[in-house]
Amino acid sequence: MRKLSLPLAMLATTALTAPAFADDHLKIVDEPLELTIHMHWPRAQGYGVGGDASQIYPVEEAAREMTGIHLVDQTFGKNTKDSAESMNLLIASGDMPDIVGGHLIKQPVNEFGPQGAFVPLNDLVEEHAPNIKAFWDSHPGLKEAISAYDGNYYYIPYLPDGKYGRAYFIRQDWLDKLGLEQPNTVDELYDVLVAFRDQDPNGNGMKDEVPAFFRDWEEVIRLVVLWDGRSSGSDTYHDFLVNDEGKLEHPYAQEAYRDGLAMVAKWYEEGLIDPEVFTRGSSAREYLLSEDLGGFTHDWFASTSGYNAALADKVEGFNFIPFLPPESPSGRRLEEHRRIPIKPDGWAISHQNENPVETIKYFDFWFTEEGRLLSNFGIEGETYDMVDGEPIYKDEVLNKGEPVNAQMWAVGSQIQRGYWQDYRYEWQWTAEAARKGIELYDQHDILTDQFLGVAFTKEEQEVYDKYWPSLRTYMLERQQAWVLGTGDITAEWDDYVATLNKMGYEDVIEVLNSAYARQYG
Amino acid sequence: MTNDPNFSGPTTEQLVFDATESQRRRKRTRIQKVGDHLKREWQLYALLLPTIIWLMVFLYKPMYGLQIAFKDYSVFRGIAGSPWVGLEHFHTLFENDQFLRALRNTIIMSAYGLLFGFPVPILLALMFNEVLNQTFKKSAQTIVYLPHFISSVIIAGIVMTAFSPSAGIVNTIIGWFGIEPIYFLTKPEWFRPIFIGTGIWQEAGFQSIVYLAAIAGVSPTLYESAVVDGASRWQMMWKITVPSILPTIIIMLIIRIGNILEISFEMIILLYQPATYETADVVNTFIYRQGLQGGQYDFAAAAGLFNAVVAFILVMTANTISKRYSRTSLW
Repeated sequence: MRKLSLPLAMLATTALTAPAFADDHLKIVDEPLELTIHMHWPRAQGYGVGGDASQIYPVEEAAREMTGIHLVDQTFGKNTKDSAESMNLLIASGDMPDIVGGHLIKQPVNEFGPQGAFVPLNDLVEEHAPNIKAFWDSHPGLKEAISAYDGNYYYIPYLPDGKYGRAYFIRQDWLDKLGLEQPNTVDELYDVLVAFRDQDPNGNGMKDEVPAFFRDWEEVIRLVVLWDGRSSGSDTYHDFLVNDEGKLEHPYAQEAYRDGLAMVAKWYEEGLIDPEVFTRGSSAREYLLSEDLGGFTHDWFASTSGYNAALADKVEGFNFIPFLPPESPSGRRLEEHRRIPIKPDGWAISHQNENPVETIKYFDFWFTEEGRLLSNFGIEGETYDMVDGEPIYKDEVLNKGEPVNAQMWAVGSQIQRGYWQDYRYEWQWTAEAARKGIELYDQHDILTDQFLGVAFTKEEQEVYDKYWPSLRTYMLERQQAWVLGTGDITAEWDDYVATLNKMGYEDVIEVLNSAYARQYG
Repeated sequence: MTNDPNFSGPTTEQLVFDATESQRRRKRTRIQKVGDHLKREWQLYALLLPTIIWLMVFLYKPMYGLQIAFKDYSVFRGIAGSPWVGLEHFHTLFENDQFLRALRNTIIMSAYGLLFGFPVPILLALMFNEVLNQTFKKSAQTIVYLPHFISSVIIAGIVMTAFSPSAGIVNTIIGWFGIEPIYFLTKPEWFRPIFIGTGIWQEAGFQSIVYLAAIAGVSPTLYESAVVDGASRWQMMWKITVPSILPTIIIMLIIRIGNILEISFEMIILLYQPATYETADVVNTFIYRQGLQGGQYDFAAAAGLFNAVVAFILVMTANTISKRYSRTSLW
């Protein structure tokens, strides 16, 4: 905390001497002010087109014009794509740029912020950033989710928009061919998968169909949701969840998981689930769909719907569409996966920044109407037009044959600064089948709240680090053995729970709950 | 001395002087001798210098960072500014059943790798040496060297495809004998054979180059006289080739033992599954999951340091044994 005194003192003096706003309501400084920035994320290692600092983003040019703040690239670790590594290089170098931004900065800023490496933003936002403050006020719980253990928060996050991520997909043309209805319950889904397995829906005379397939083997585990179990409490696999009593626990220690996984093992045994699901990997969807073999999956709305257009010529009648999550035996209909409302990406103010007030005002700029349009859609008149008050992409952007997001990255929009995404951006280039699916999901209340993470004190972190990685390894080992049939979950459950407790499960849950109670009150 | 009347060599006085002088020289200190030596052979030492600098910069200087194994390391505070915690990280390590399992797996897998993997390149080199058809020899060598140059990611992809239950060549072949397809990569009992077999397939050809070079260095006169004595090719191989390359074999063995705990863990990460952790998880993969994914550099450094100490003890032991019994050693 000692290191904070200097920037805080400067904060006080600059606040007194800050010039009054000029006519232009977005101007932050009269004289152009240069701030250095570290911006490292998977698509670009540097603040400039494709990471090349000499090519200034058109969006940056526009922002300079509007605010008077000029961002100048000073990114560390440009020769690695690993953002966590670049952050370590940056912090170890002892020479930090004014703004530290990019991918996966939450963990480092929350660890090193309280040690003095970053400026806490609570008071700065309260006094100088009305638009960010308004966002926090209208989205309760999010500010708490990014706070460090000392109660301060140290970065302005990238805030994704849009609720839905993954959905249940089924080959509607196979259903039609076999004269079946879309499955509405888990039992009906079982019957449909058995029919896919036995009745040769692809009509090649061979029993080569793979009724249920998944790109990520963790999605097999997620099937327990269909029997009232849970596989994760957030959009990260195997995460903790907040139970009905508002306490944290792990889904793999719940009894519903035991019963659900026993059913998953039965489906696997009967050949309803891809026998190679654990090793087939990310090409599973591409391969099984284009070879006319796969019938059912749980995958992303947009990219999975895209196969309808891509395979229209190759597979006759191909129609792979989203359908509502089947009801569990108790009548629960749940889509466990959803987009996380807050990302560990964004930007922070380093302790060497001499203009924290101007910087937070600049961060706030991106939450104004003009800033949001700029950070989402690019430059008006070049990439989009305002039509009846709505930002609409130009036809040449939508029909360019290059994904719209890649085009936005090239102009400096949709990059991992701290900004609030606008779902209208993605909706405009979402495939028709996915739009219908999203509208269908939206008619039902099938999502659940996510666990957004906790910030540990040093002591809590030590307990967690000591026990959790081993517990997780043990849970996943047993889980896979049960699915593969080399163990029997029902018979081994009591031993399993006893082993978890011996390995420190209770201690992990205790520190999680104490951190949770402190953070979310 | 000499009875030559025309002898015009040094006088007796001269000889006495020379003797004392050389005695004085012999009395020069060790350091002075090293200095003389350096002065005389400076060109050779100049050639050595770049390697020494390289060693200092890339291997000795980083050892300074090893101290984080005994510290509560924070990147922001730096190595010097982080507080000492003594052996805490080592305690955590040894309290962990999964670390002990990983250590056991490392030793077992290395031992198997040594047992099955070490003789193969030697046999290959001996076989290549006996092949008379040069075209066949060259193409066979190229084929066995090739896998060495393929990246581990691709090798892992080939292995996964080869052992796939539905499309893999292995299951197709055992299918001809009426055996049901086996999902090899999820069976703990199959992991080690697959991993070690892959390693041999990938590296044996390339490692055989060292032995081929050693064989090339054997003096042809030995073979010529053996032929005159009527020795068969088999006898020549056992009585000449193998004893001649034995020092090379032992040096390679010692080096190999020094690397015994350095299993190519990137291959394991690509091939293992939770279902096969039981036999596949080694110290390096354990460190990766436990330490690096969570950014616990201090803990990972402790595990790495332990690994290095064990490897050091092994290589010293191997060297001593070898020195005693075969008079071949690294130093």
